Amino acid sequence: MGEQREQSMSNYKLPGMRGPRNRQVEKPQEGFKTLRRLVLYFAGERRVVLFLFFVVFVVVIASVYAPRLQSDAIDSISARDFGALPATLLVMLAVYAVQSVGTFLQSRESAVLSQRVVKRMREDLFDCVVNLPVSYIDSHSHGDIMSRMTNDVENISNTVSQSLSSLFSGVLTVIGTVAMMLWLCPPLALLSCTTVILTVTATKFLSGAMRTFYRRRQALLGALNGTVEEMVGGCRTVAAYGRQEAVTASFDRTADELTRAGIFAEILGGSMGPVMNVINNVGFVIIAAFGGYFAVHGVISIGIISAFIVYAKQFGRPIDEIAQIYGQIQTAVAGAERVFAIIDEAREDKSGSGTMEGAKGVINFRGVNFSYLPGQQVLHDFDLEVRAGHKIALVGATGSGKTTVVNLLMRFYDVDSGEILIDGVNIRDIDCRSLRENTAIVLQDTVLFADTVRNNLKYGRQDATDEEMEEAARMSNCHDMILRLRDGYDTLLTGEGSLSQGQRQLLAIARAFLAQPKILILDEATSSVDTRTEKRIQDAMVKLMENRTSLIIAHRLSTIRDADYIVVMDRGRIIEAGNHEELIAARGKYYELYMTQFAGSAT
Amino acid sequence: MRTRSIFSTSISEEENSQKARVQETMIKYLRKYWLFFILAPLFMLGEVSMDLLQPRLMGRIVDEGVLGLSNGGVGDIALVMSTGVRMIGLVLFGCLCGILSGVFANLCSQNFGNDVRKAAFRRVMAFSFEQTDRFSTGSLITRVTNDITQIQNLVSQCIRGFVRTFLLFAGGIVCMLSLHLSFGVVVACAMPLIVLCVLFFIGRANPLFAVLQEKLDRLNNVMQENVSGTRVVKAYVKEAYEQERFGAANDGLVETQLRVLLLFSYMTPIMNIILNVSVVAVIKVGALQVGAGNVTPGDVMAAVTYISQILNAVMRVNMIFQMVSRGVASGRRVQEVLDCEPAIRDGAFDGDTPVRGKVEFRDVSFAYPGMGGERVLSHLNLTIHPGETFGILGATGCGKSTLVNLIPRFYDATQGQVLVDDVDVRDYTLPALRGRIAVALQKSEVFGTTIRENIAWGDPEASEEQIRRAADAAQATEFIDAKADGLDERVAQGGHSLSGGQKQRVAIARAVLKNAEILIFDDTTSALDLKTEAKLYEALKREYADMTKIIIAQRIASVKDADRIAVIDNGRLAACGSHEELMAGSEIYRDIYDSQLKR
Repeated sequence: MGEQREQSMSNYKLPGMRGPRNRQVEKPQEGFKTLRRLVLYFAGERRVVLFLFFVVFVVVIASVYAPRLQSDAIDSISARDFGALPATLLVMLAVYAVQSVGTFLQSRESAVLSQRVVKRMREDLFDCVVNLPVSYIDSHSHGDIMSRMTNDVENISNTVSQSLSSLFSGVLTVIGTVAMMLWLCPPLALLSCTTVILTVTATKFLSGAMRTFYRRRQALLGALNGTVEEMVGGCRTVAAYGRQEAVTASFDRTADELTRAGIFAEILGGSMGPVMNVINNVGFVIIAAFGGYFAVHGVISIGIISAFIVYAKQFGRPIDEIAQIYGQIQTAVAGAERVFAIIDEAREDKSGSGTMEGAKGVINFRGVNFSYLPGQQVLHDFDLEVRAGHKIALVGATGSGKTTVVNLLMRFYDVDSGEILIDGVNIRDIDCRSLRENTAIVLQDTVLFADTVRNNLKYGRQDATDEEMEEAARMSNCHDMILRLRDGYDTLLTGEGSLSQGQRQLLAIARAFLAQPKILILDEATSSVDTRTEKRIQDAMVKLMENRTSLIIAHRLSTIRDADYIVVMDRGRIIEAGNHEELIAARGKYYELYMTQFAGSAT
Repeated sequence: MRTRSIFSTSISEEENSQKARVQETMIKYLRKYWLFFILAPLFMLGEVSMDLLQPRLMGRIVDEGVLGLSNGGVGDIALVMSTGVRMIGLVLFGCLCGILSGVFANLCSQNFGNDVRKAAFRRVMAFSFEQTDRFSTGSLITRVTNDITQIQNLVSQCIRGFVRTFLLFAGGIVCMLSLHLSFGVVVACAMPLIVLCVLFFIGRANPLFAVLQEKLDRLNNVMQENVSGTRVVKAYVKEAYEQERFGAANDGLVETQLRVLLLFSYMTPIMNIILNVSVVAVIKVGALQVGAGNVTPGDVMAAVTYISQILNAVMRVNMIFQMVSRGVASGRRVQEVLDCEPAIRDGAFDGDTPVRGKVEFRDVSFAYPGMGGERVLSHLNLTIHPGETFGILGATGCGKSTLVNLIPRFYDATQGQVLVDDVDVRDYTLPALRGRIAVALQKSEVFGTTIRENIAWGDPEASEEQIRRAADAAQATEFIDAKADGLDERVAQGGHSLSGGQKQRVAIARAVLKNAEILIFDDTTSALDLKTEAKLYEALKREYADMTKIIIAQRIASVKDADRIAVIDNGRLAACGSHEELMAGSEIYRDIYDSQLKR
């Protein structure tokens, strides 16, 4: 009876329960090493693990012993020896009770264990992700990093919570059952093994055939989801170019192909059940026929036949299961490998002990060379001095290295050679926390968090008062806009839809203002803001940034015109520098840029 | 486009009517596969019957073959063998039925799912921007992919799993009672207990699943924000804060997941104990009846198998319930998509017009739906003449983009009229209208294919020369040629392999290539440096002189050379004229000018 119970339970698609048997199996690269590391996560849980093994042991003994009792009961009935029956039944009830309590403890303990381990693993992983160097995140697909944090950890969690105790109990059950069968009747036990051979062969054959179709289906599903994502995401362009029909037709083609592959895959997958049923029943008949033969000749009793029927099933199931679990463990270990790969990634170098507490904000770049990729140098011998309290601007074509300067100053990346000094101290010697706490940055791609406006603005300085916050919002010209939102400062920002790009930039600027930095960096921070609003923000900035240093990067010359010092960059080098008047007078590259904006106008 | 009149019923008593409509849709799409829908359960009946016959035959083997009850206690090996062979025959037949049932169930459910998926995608593609905004693209993607898979699974489960469960349940009871009615007592006692148990766990577990999903979303959200916003997190030194935030989300998830798992750790043993006690009871009852001579030991063995089959079927109700509730929830979400009639209805006009390239706004007002009626544009009048280069300036959020979005009917004016070539835009068929217009959007959407195909997106037939010419005009040739594969360089999905300026130039080339009579740039040059931008406009003027060009920009330099410039302020036309006229007559324009160009 046991097998039906188990099958029915495995149909619950619980988070933390095993998936379908035909999921693809992945092979890990360095399985053993990873497995050992994975095991280390359990080192602290030794007591729970030992207890779990003990419970599993008891449950297995109970479930191996129960059919034996049932066979005794049937024997008593066949022999019409009703006197012995009540005692047997009582023992049966007791054994079942032990089994149930054991199962309860087993699933409870493994749930607690798995969740504890997974919680720690997620925390470790996140701890690494948050401390990864920016270069790693820039150079790896975000989707991939995300999938390691979600799918892979989830996979490990499932395996840990289910497979380990199942594997243990499976192996024990097989050993126990075989021992019991051999003890009861060796010849019949050997005959029963033929079913096992059949099971293994059939599983191997079917799953081999299935794998091809499942793989194909998986690939098509990926393609289909990709199409949906791209076309729904880009639906404005689809509409603007009237491509609905063509897009739909190509979607239909992929969808039809997917359906064909899916039907084949599922039919094969669905045959597994009935085929196993046949094999089970063949085993059933073998036992009945040979058992009957032995019984007629008085070698064994009727009860033993009934016990064998249960045992044969009990014995076939874990073998099928162990094969599955083996695949799952392989997949999980492959996932763990990817997770550990991130955990092993070098963390951001945050060494340095100096603080920027009394810093005035003098910035010096001395002979800085830098390349993101070897051989493609982005900055060449870059020298720049920014005086305290100055507003300095970087201009230049896309790819001239402006943003790189910011990346280096913030230590998102480290220089290849040369040095960057703040108040004469190399930034490598300054505590990274202190450096960044005193430097606020606003980027072109505005990042806001799915939180209230208030929490977003106070992100840089949690202890700011509401008055200070509103003041910062007024300075960046978004106070009125915020008040117009549904819940004012308590409006929850969700997704991209609710605010325009320009409005998001204003919020990011307010956030930077509120942080009261010693150095403020605006990297194309107002590119989507109209110039009059921008002007007002800049006027407000003058007051805020008094005696503080600001660094501004922009395409729009209007954004930078008032800077104390303008640096014109081209292919990683400074080609001109000076204030607006000087640069115009020099009639160089800046003048040329300025004139493109001015061309044809009389001033 | 197919239209579905059954969906247009008015929305009252929301829940019920929607449920009814989900059913209607299911029936509508399943009707095509009715034969498979009927055959699958029929074959399932075959498989289940074979399953139910097995214990009986087994009982016969025991009673007659082994114990030889009717033969005075002498076993009959021949009978054992012949019954055995019969059993194998029956089981093979059952296997065949099972496989065929699977074939038909899959033919039905997967084709059904495919049809719904295609219909939903077609519908989404026909949505107006406002409808897309309302659903949000993320949610539309889930609906078309995941939710449809859920209802497809529901259908397949309905015609196989549920049928199997029900047949095993009903068949098991019949078979058991036919052995002897007294076994019914055990069923009658165990059943209410199991049912109560199942109901209890359904009541407890299902709300937990919703919470679980929510916690999982929250955790994923924190991670997503930290990966894509890593610079901001680092710049504000918030690693510790983010760890705390993640920790809280993680704790929440782990706690909920643990609650679910613990709930199930109670459930399995309780169900098992009921089942096992029933087995003991059957043996006890059997013993009494064997003693009374009413049943045979073989019958008792068969009864033990039947009772576990019956109770297992009841236990599966929990799974069925979950499956159904998940399927119905998904069905509802898909239904919302199918229910949503494309807001923009085609007109009939697709003929020629004497004028080509003219745009006129007559007393146009616009308010985004669901924004409390606050007007983005109010009573705006404006005419743009054929061949004109027309600039539009204005503050962030003043309604510039909205204005041009009305021309290709991405949105419809709330009030007033928009005319293209003297015909109301609502009178055109959409392809005819949009064929006259090329738009490069503010957010440059680039697709995961080659640069060539991206540029030729509006016109797959375009020649190499046309593509080159468009790329030249868009100032994209230089960066394209610098790529290893030139025009055939593949762009990563989402355009991540291109910089902002490069994406914009691809989008501009795409719009230019369309060679439409009206070309609209919706702030499409913001990421270009000034020189490149100037070259672009020069090239457009030279190469595509006849086009009406409507250019939204932030920089005055972008539009200064336009024939006329409109200044939009708070949804109204504040001024309109040439640069010189505006310099002389418009204070706002001068103000903008000063903010950008004053020395």
